[in-house]
Amino acid sequence: MTITGAGHRLVGNPAQERFAVSARGLTKVYGAGDAAVRALGGVDVAFAAGHFTAIMGPSGSGKSTLMHCLAGLDAVTSGEVHIGDVEITGLNDRQLTRLRRERVGFIFQAFNLLPTLTAEQNILLPLDIAGRQVDQDLFDQVVDTVGLRDRLGHRPSQLSGGQQQRVAVARALIGKPHVIFADEPTGNLDSRSGAEVLSFLRTSVRELGQTIVMVTHDPVAASYADRVVFLRDGLLVTELYRPTPQSVLDTLVKLEA
Amino acid sequence: MLKATLAGLRAHRLRLLLTSVAIALGVGFITGTFVLTDALEAGVNQRIAADADKVDVAVRPPKANADAEDRPVIPLGVLEKVRSAPGVADAQGLVSGVAPLIGKDGKAVGSTATAAISISTGRLDRTVIVAGAPPAAADEAVMDDSTAATRGFAVGDTITVLDHRDRRHTFRLVGLMDVGVQQELAFRGAVGLTADTALRMTGAKGYQEIDVAAAQGVPAERLRQAVQAAAGTAYPVVTGEELAARLARDNGVDIRILSTMLLAFGLVALLVAALVIYNTFNILVAQRVRELALLRCIGASRGQVFGSVVLEAVVVGAIASLAGLLLGYGLGAAALAVFERLNLPLPPGSLTLEPRTMVLAPLTGLLVTVVAATLPARAATKARPIAALGARTEEPTYRAGRLMIVSAVLLTLLGGGLTAYGISTGPGEGPLMIVAAGGTLVFLAVLIVGPVIVRPLSAFTGALPRRLFGVPGRLAVDNSRRNPRRSATTTIALTVGVGLMTLISVVTASSRAYLNDRLDQEFPVDFQISAQRRDGGLDEQVPRALAADLRNRPEIGQVIEVRRADARFNGRPEEIGMMSAAALGTAVRPETTAGDLDRLAPGTAALSGNAADSLGLGVGDTATVRTPGGRSVDLRIVAVIQSEMLYLPTFTVPEASFTEYFGEIDDIQILVQAKEGVTVAAARQAVEAAARPYPTAQVLSAAEVRAEYDSAMDMLLLIVAGLLALAVIISLLGIANTLALSAHERTRESALLRALGLERSRLRQMLSIEALILGLVGALVGVTLGIVFGWAVVLTQASDVPFVVPVAQVLLLIAASGLAGVIAAVLPARRAARGSIVAAIASG
Repeated sequence: MTITGAGHRLVGNPAQERFAVSARGLTKVYGAGDAAVRALGGVDVAFAAGHFTAIMGPSGSGKSTLMHCLAGLDAVTSGEVHIGDVEITGLNDRQLTRLRRERVGFIFQAFNLLPTLTAEQNILLPLDIAGRQVDQDLFDQVVDTVGLRDRLGHRPSQLSGGQQQRVAVARALIGKPHVIFADEPTGNLDSRSGAEVLSFLRTSVRELGQTIVMVTHDPVAASYADRVVFLRDGLLVTELYRPTPQSVLDTLVKLEA
Repeated sequence: MLKATLAGLRAHRLRLLLTSVAIALGVGFITGTFVLTDALEAGVNQRIAADADKVDVAVRPPKANADAEDRPVIPLGVLEKVRSAPGVADAQGLVSGVAPLIGKDGKAVGSTATAAISISTGRLDRTVIVAGAPPAAADEAVMDDSTAATRGFAVGDTITVLDHRDRRHTFRLVGLMDVGVQQELAFRGAVGLTADTALRMTGAKGYQEIDVAAAQGVPAERLRQAVQAAAGTAYPVVTGEELAARLARDNGVDIRILSTMLLAFGLVALLVAALVIYNTFNILVAQRVRELALLRCIGASRGQVFGSVVLEAVVVGAIASLAGLLLGYGLGAAALAVFERLNLPLPPGSLTLEPRTMVLAPLTGLLVTVVAATLPARAATKARPIAALGARTEEPTYRAGRLMIVSAVLLTLLGGGLTAYGISTGPGEGPLMIVAAGGTLVFLAVLIVGPVIVRPLSAFTGALPRRLFGVPGRLAVDNSRRNPRRSATTTIALTVGVGLMTLISVVTASSRAYLNDRLDQEFPVDFQISAQRRDGGLDEQVPRALAADLRNRPEIGQVIEVRRADARFNGRPEEIGMMSAAALGTAVRPETTAGDLDRLAPGTAALSGNAADSLGLGVGDTATVRTPGGRSVDLRIVAVIQSEMLYLPTFTVPEASFTEYFGEIDDIQILVQAKEGVTVAAARQAVEAAARPYPTAQVLSAAEVRAEYDSAMDMLLLIVAGLLALAVIISLLGIANTLALSAHERTRESALLRALGLERSRLRQMLSIEALILGLVGALVGVTLGIVFGWAVVLTQASDVPFVVPVAQVLLLIAASGLAGVIAAVLPARRAARGSIVAAIASG
C-alpha cells in the first residue's frame, strides 16, 4: 500500500491516462475491533473516459461506499484511487475540495439543489464557487439539452422532481468535469421523469464526451449505461457490456442467489 | 407520552443548553439583585438597630416650618430640662453643622465643606471609632476614615478646621471614625468633636437630637413620658425602637430605589431571554414536525402534543431557573465583595436567600419560559399526522397577515400618539413616563412587523458582503432572509439591548451638550473664584481683599467683582446685584433689549429680561425696593438687559449705589480674565497664589468644571451600558442558538456545497456572514428606535436641551453588534463545517 502525498498528484501515470477514474486494492473498513464492518474488501476497477458506467449490487454490497471513495467524499482505508492522472488518496481536505471543484460533478438522489437559489443560479453554482467564467455556449447547449430554458428563473420549490433533477444534471455538466458521479439519480422520480433524466445523461456521454459513473439499484436505469459493474459484499464480482434491463436483472438474480 | 418528551429532552440536550443559559442569566440577575439589596438592607438595619439600642429615648426637633430657612433645631436649654427629668441617667445633645477642614494644600477640602458632628460620651456614644480614641478634650478631634485616607491624614496629626466665621482652629487628630450609613457625612467628609467644641465651631443654635439613656430599671415608655413632659410638647419624643424603625424606613427607601432600578434591568434581560426561548422552541418544533406527526399518527391527541412541548419548557425552565438562583447568589456575593473593596458607605450584611428570593426569582424564570413556549407548543399541535409520511419539509413561506399589519399600524399610531402627547405636555417626569409607554408600544409594533422589515433590511446590510464574499456571501444573505420570522425574533432580541444603549447614549450626549452650553454661558472668563459651599447651596462670600490682590498681579487682565444682596420689592425678596463699574458693557456685554445701559447712574437700575416679564416693569418705570437695613430706595429703570452668558440679578445697580444701599459686603464671585499673552498655566499660578490666604476660596476654570461633568456622564453611561450588556449577551446566545439550529437544518445543503467544492473555511465564513447580517439588522433597528426615542426623551427634558446623536458611539455600537454576531457564530460554524459530507448526503 502506498500513501501518496500531495507532491505526487501532478505527476501523471501514463497507465491511468486512458481511464477517467481508477481504483486499485480499494478497501474501506468502518469502525474498529469487534464492531469493524468491511464495506469494501479490495476493489480493482477502472472507468474509461467518455463512457457511461453503472455500479450495481444488492443492498449493502458497498456500491455507494465505492462511489463515495472514488469521488473523494470519503477516506479509503487502503488502496489508491486516481481521478485522471491525480492520485486522490492522501490529498488533504483542501486539495480534495479543489479537486472536486475542478474535476468532479455530482448528481444526488434528492435534496440536491439549494432552495434559496433559482435554477440558473443552481446550475452555475459550481462555477461561482470555483470563481470560473461561464462558457455561454456551453451553458446554452446544456440548458437546451435538459430542456430548462423557460424554467431558469424558478426556484426549486416551483419545479417538479424531474425538473429539479434536470437542473442537477445541468449543474454537473456545466463545469465540464473529468467525471460525473450520480448516486441513484432516479431514485425519487416517477418512471417518465426518470427516463428523461437518464436520456440526458446518455446524450451527454454520446454528444459531449462526458464520463459518468452512476450508482443504481434499478435495472432499467442501469440499462442506459454502456457497461455495468456488479458488487457483492464489498467485492467486484462481474460486469456487463451493452446491458439490457433483462440481462441486468438476470445477473442480479444470480448474485442474490 | 411523558417518556417520549423526556427522551426528546435528552436528545436535544445540547440545543436547549444555550436557551437554559439565557434563562439562567436572567434569573441570576434578579436573584443577585435580591441577594445584594437584602444584604445591604440587613447590614444597614443591623447598624441602625445597634445604634438605636444605645438610646432609650430620643428628643427630635420640631417639624420644619415652611418659611424657615434653616433646619429646625432643639434649643440648647432643652437639654438641661431633659437631664433633670425623672428616670434619666444621661442625656446628650447631637450637634451637626459645617466646619471646613483644611487640607494639606492649605485649601478647604472638597467642593462642599466638611461636616462637623458632636461625639457623645459614655453609653450614648453611637460613633464607631475604627482607630485611636474618641475626642475627650476641646482640642481633640476625630475624622471619618475615608477622608483621612484620601487627604492623607493619620492619627496623631494636627488638623486645621475653620469655624463658622472662617477662623482657624487646630486640633489633634486622636482617632478615625466610620460614619456608616449616614450618606451625607460620607459624601462631605466629617470631623467629630466634643459636643461643646462642635457647638462653638459650627455656631449651631441648638441640637439635631437629644439622646437619653434610662436609669436602671426605668422602662422606655415611662421614660419617654417623663422626657416629653420635661421637654415640652413642641418636640416629638420617641423611644429608641421607634427611632430605629424610622431610620430603617428612610434607609429602606434608598435601597428599594436601587433594587427597583436593578430589577428593571433584570426584567429587560428576561424579556430578551423570552424572545430567545420563543425562537428556540419554534425552531425545535419546526424541526420535529415529522416526529410530532408520527406521535399523532400513533394516536397522540393534540392536547398531548401541546402538553409535551410545554412539559419540555417546564423542565428546561425549572432546571435553568435553579441554576440561575445559584448563579445569582454568587453574583450577589461578588457584588458585595466589590462594594466592600471600594469602601462604599454601605455596611454589607450577611448573605441570605430570603424565601421571597427563592420563590420569586425562579418562578419568574419558569413562567417566562413556559409562556414563551406556549405559542410554539400551539404550532406543534397543528402538525398533521400525514406530515409524518411526507419525504420533505416545505420551505417556510411567510406572508404578512392582515391582522398583523393592522395591529402593527394601530400600535405604531397609538405609541407615536402617546409619545407626541408626552412631548407636547412639556418637560417633566410625567411626560417622560408617557413617552416611555409610547416607546414600548412602538417596540411591540416593531416586534410584530419584524418578519416584514427583516427582509429588506438584511438585503440592505447584506449588499456589501454579497459583493465582497462571493458565493458564501450570497448564500449567507439569502439564508438570513429565508425564514423571516426566525430572523426577526433573533435580531429583535438584540434590538432591545442595542436600542436602550443608543437611547442612553443619545440622552447623555444631549445632556452633555446642554451642560457644555451652560458652562460656556456661566464661564465667560478664564477663571471663576467663589467660596466653598457650606449648606444648602447658599451663596458664600470671598473677602474683597482677594480681588484687590488680583488686580495688582501682572499676569491678570481684568478682575470683575460680583456682589449680590436681597432686597424686598412688593413684599417679595428680589436680588439686587452689581458688577465692578468698568465691567458692565465692556468685558461683559449683556444684550440690551430696551433702554440704554450707558445711562446707568446712581438712582437707576438695569432690569433683567426675565424679571421685566414677571414683574411687569419696563424702561421709565420706577421700582421702590426696601433694603435689609430698612431703607426705601427708588430705582428708575433705564435699561432691560438679557444675557446668555451670565446670571443676572433682578436689578443691576452701579457699584457706588450698591455700596450705599448694602454697605461694604464681600464679593459673591470674582471673574478673572488672564492678561493678553499670558499662558493659562501662568495665570492659574497667579490666581492660586492670590487665593492661598483664603482657604475656602475655590478657583475653578471652565475646563475643570467641564471635565468634572464629563466624567460623571461617562460613569453613568458606563454603568447603564454595563447593566444592559446582560441583555445583549443573552441576545447573542439567541443568535448562536438560532444559527446552530439553522445550520443543523441545513446539514444536507452544507454537505452539497462541500461536495461541489466549497472549502470548510468558506462554509464557516458563510455562517459568520449570516450572523454578521443578523447582528447588523438588530443593531440598525435598535439604533433607529433608540435615536427616535432618545430624541423624544430629550424633548421631555428642559426645553432648551439640544438633541445630539453621538455618531461615533452609535457607529461603534453597530460595529460591535456585527462583530458580536460573528463571534456568536464561531461555534455553530465550526460544528457545521466539521460534519461529514457522506453522512449528511446519505441520511435520508
